[in-house]
Amino acid sequence: MFSREHILSAFSAAVPIMLGYVAIGLPCGILGNTIGLNPLQVALLSILLYSGAGQFMIPNMFLAGSGVAAITASVSLVNTRQMLYAASFAPQCADSPRWLSALFAASVTDESYGVNTARFAEGNWSVDRALMVNLFSQSSWTISNIVGCAVGAAVDIPVSIAAFAMTAIFICLLVTQKFTSANIVAMVVAMAGVYLCKALGLTGPAILIGAIAGVVCALAFSAIFPRRATPATTAAAQTSGGDDR
Amino acid sequence: MSWNEFWFVLVGCVLAMWACRVIPLFLLKGRELPDRLAQALGFIPPAAFAALVANDLLNPGMFDAGVWPAAIPLVAAVASALVAAKTRSLLWTAVTGVAVYAALAFFAV
Repeated sequence: MFSREHILSAFSAAVPIMLGYVAIGLPCGILGNTIGLNPLQVALLSILLYSGAGQFMIPNMFLAGSGVAAITASVSLVNTRQMLYAASFAPQCADSPRWLSALFAASVTDESYGVNTARFAEGNWSVDRALMVNLFSQSSWTISNIVGCAVGAAVDIPVSIAAFAMTAIFICLLVTQKFTSANIVAMVVAMAGVYLCKALGLTGPAILIGAIAGVVCALAFSAIFPRRATPATTAAAQTSGGDDR
Repeated sequence: MSWNEFWFVLVGCVLAMWACRVIPLFLLKGRELPDRLAQALGFIPPAAFAALVANDLLNPGMFDAGVWPAAIPLVAAVASALVAAKTRSLLWTAVTGVAVYAALAFFAV
């Protein structure tokens, strides 16, 4: 665990995330500065909360006049999707020490989840390397946020353009999934679910509800058409026992 | 935002976040997963990323201000998807997405 070779392979896996986090971390820090947060507060948020969407929502909602209770509830609702990520790593963490699993789970994000899932599926990946991917990414996120907050309004980056880096990363993670029939059902239903939730005014839990609807419909689909849907299960089955130390 | 408001938001969000991130793993860790559950876990990545992309791109009433403002992110998204399919690289996808978005936003003004 944590050998030189593991550190290097984790770093090279983390580089795209780290660069992406510079692109979205700087405007996120600048946004924090606009509501009067200082670099220490931004650092606390980045280290403890470590949530891109959440840290963009806090200043945006505060500027829109929302109260602290509404902000906390909305951020927490958006972050409920993390339950799905943590749960999906249970097989890989089966043989890992408790502290390692806890530290790993506490630092999972959308992007590092995608990268680590892909690496686990390829094999030759382990929880210590996955944790280091998370920590490298988190360092980049935290530093970028602090720098953004410190330079503040001195730099004028249009936030909507910089934030599209995050969207593009999600698109890449989506496009590189296996396009089995059941996975396509999951994707289409999840997208429709998110849109429907927003149309009904459920903006906070839209991601969670959409994703769960996608998973449920894909399960139903593969129960009705077992033969066509089988390839989708291999990704989950393969990954157990990939922890070579 | 005052320090009092900051502490409220920080502590509330962090407690909820840690609960969501850590508890499910320990509930499932070290158990033989039933086939159905393993299958469900395998469907999480496509469903979750589709939901995140949809959340960023789709809004009811997105075309209210005219076609062009809503079309910019959609066109940038298509460009990103093509690069992602070709290169499978997070970095190139992000660079392409931001560049196309910035170029379109520049020319739209």
